[in-house]
Amino acid sequence: MSRKETPFFVGYLPLPRGLGGFVALVSVALVALFAAAALLIGGTQDAPQDAAFRFDYGRQTVTGVVELTPYPLLRVTEGNDLIPPGKTLMMTAAGKSGVDMRAMGLEGKLAQVSGVVLERGTIDMIQLRGGRRGIQAAEGEAPAMQTEPLGRWRLAGEICDGKCLYGAMRPGRGLAHKACANLCIIGDVPPVFVTTQPVEGQDFMLITGPDGTRLPKEAYDFVGQFVTLEGDLERRGDVLVLRLDTPTIALVDG
Amino acid sequence: MSVKYVPVQWNRSKWVYDGIMLAAVVAFLYLFLYVTPELLSHENPINPQVHNARAFGACAFLMLTVILWIGPLARIDRRFLPLLYNRRHFGVMTTFVAITHAGYILNWYFAFSSSDKYAALLFANTSYGQLAGFPFEAFGIFALVCLVILAVTSHDFWLKFLTPPVWKALHALIYFAYVAVVAHVALGIMQDQQNHTFTVIFIGGALSVAGLHAWAAWHEDRNGDRLGTEEGGWVDICDARKIEEGRAHIKVLPNGERVAVFRHEGKLSAISNACAHQNGPLGEGRIIDCLVTCPWHGFQYDVRTGRSPAPFTEMVPTYTLRLSGNRVQVQVEANPPGTPVDPVEVPA
Ligand code: FES
Repeated sequence: MSRKETPFFVGYLPLPRGLGGFVALVSVALVALFAAAALLIGGTQDAPQDAAFRFDYGRQTVTGVVELTPYPLLRVTEGNDLIPPGKTLMMTAAGKSGVDMRAMGLEGKLAQVSGVVLERGTIDMIQLRGGRRGIQAAEGEAPAMQTEPLGRWRLAGEICDGKCLYGAMRPGRGLAHKACANLCIIGDVPPVFVTTQPVEGQDFMLITGPDGTRLPKEAYDFVGQFVTLEGDLERRGDVLVLRLDTPTIALVDG
Repeated sequence: MSVKYVPVQWNRSKWVYDGIMLAAVVAFLYLFLYVTPELLSHENPINPQVHNARAFGACAFLMLTVILWIGPLARIDRRFLPLLYNRRHFGVMTTFVAITHAGYILNWYFAFSSSDKYAALLFANTSYGQLAGFPFEAFGIFALVCLVILAVTSHDFWLKFLTPPVWKALHALIYFAYVAVVAHVALGIMQDQQNHTFTVIFIGGALSVAGLHAWAAWHEDRNGDRLGTEEGGWVDICDARKIEEGRAHIKVLPNGERVAVFRHEGKLSAISNACAHQNGPLGEGRIIDCLVTCPWHGFQYDVRTGRSPAPFTEMVPTYTLRLSGNRVQVQVEANPPGTPVDPVEVPA
């Protein structure tokens, strides 16, 4: 369009004749573009993991033996319909905090815990109530618990924070969620390793550092990514625990 | 061209402009926030905070993309100039949408820990040495800071205070912000997608911005202003009779400045092509009511003096001109802004 025929627009004067149709067309196109983009982008988001807090089950109170891996586990001895004896629960506090401090003095002892469970196919984690109402020593002698060593494994998968994976946040894994996952792990929420292939019938395991330490800082750079790693695996009730051999962790290309 | 500063000098065009832009944004947010959850019907839905953050983030990206379309489109086809007229309001709107996006993220992913959320933003992920898993939030923060600077300095007060060249240079930050946004999205959400609809829209949007700029540059190269030839301090412009009444002919001078030679009531006058407001191309404007009117925001100047009519005080440099046969020529050195110059009669 040459300059000669172009109607001349001045903002504070009425729209010149001949330009009105064009401007109207562009305006409609603009609104249509925004509407279409919203439906296309918003309507094609991936489904998040099938996991959630189960507030609808109500508060659960069970008793069991506390084990520190160092992330505390509860080996349930006295349960209920939902959480039968023999079950193992990972434990976390509200927000991005673990319950390490509260569980510390209870290692190997019987304790009663109370809180809301998180479910991802199975129930493996409980968020405890605050203070002693969440976890306290229980009467009675703690029975001996078995830990079954499963040898050294080389596995592929992703390190996540257990709580978000279990539905505290949806989506709760992957790279866009990495900073959040790191923050949880820094706060002692139990980290988990989600494997690409099932291992001993499970697709996840609690992951710790070597020799009863927490997940080492070096592993933080790998959180949320597809990695391979090696470590010693053990079974504690129905939860697997992997003791990471830190130098073996590596990114998988592609 | 205000003598006193008011937040916005509203006029009908601005109301209509903002209304249309707002309609587009509201349509986007409404459909994304309230309609797409129904479409998705996931067993366990995406958390509202994340859904909202995505809505505002995607909206801000689209708004930025459109903002960057407007410049080259107006250069390619002048009918798009009305979109340029009030672009800053759209920019300020974008800043608010982007801040909302950041707020949702900050109060979700970075909240609930024992640390301060702003501190957490800085220390939670420090994998700066790698591409995958890079703290892509940093790019978002950078872009947001740019947008806030641009929004805050968008008012004409700052334009005048900083002078148009400095202001223009500062507002080129928008390009850095856009590149940062592209990196923010590419290293963030795009790493986790299974469905690639968004990826296609995102890459298409970013490429369209780059493509339009390249097209506009090529267009300008072909149709743009030409360099005038100089002889003895005078630059040849064109055949004086070729300039239409009320219009100008633009030439680039050897020193890189542009001059616009206007014909008004059969006489020729020359002023700088750069508008005192934001360097808009005065020579592409028209003479309305005896005054040269800038095509960008309508500032006006008397073509014989380079001065805005009272009570306004803007001035542009004028040029002394002469005829050599039928050719009009201007003196290379500009006169100080606002210097009256006697117009030259167009030969019959
Ligand atoms: S550049 Fe804004 S009116 Fe000329």
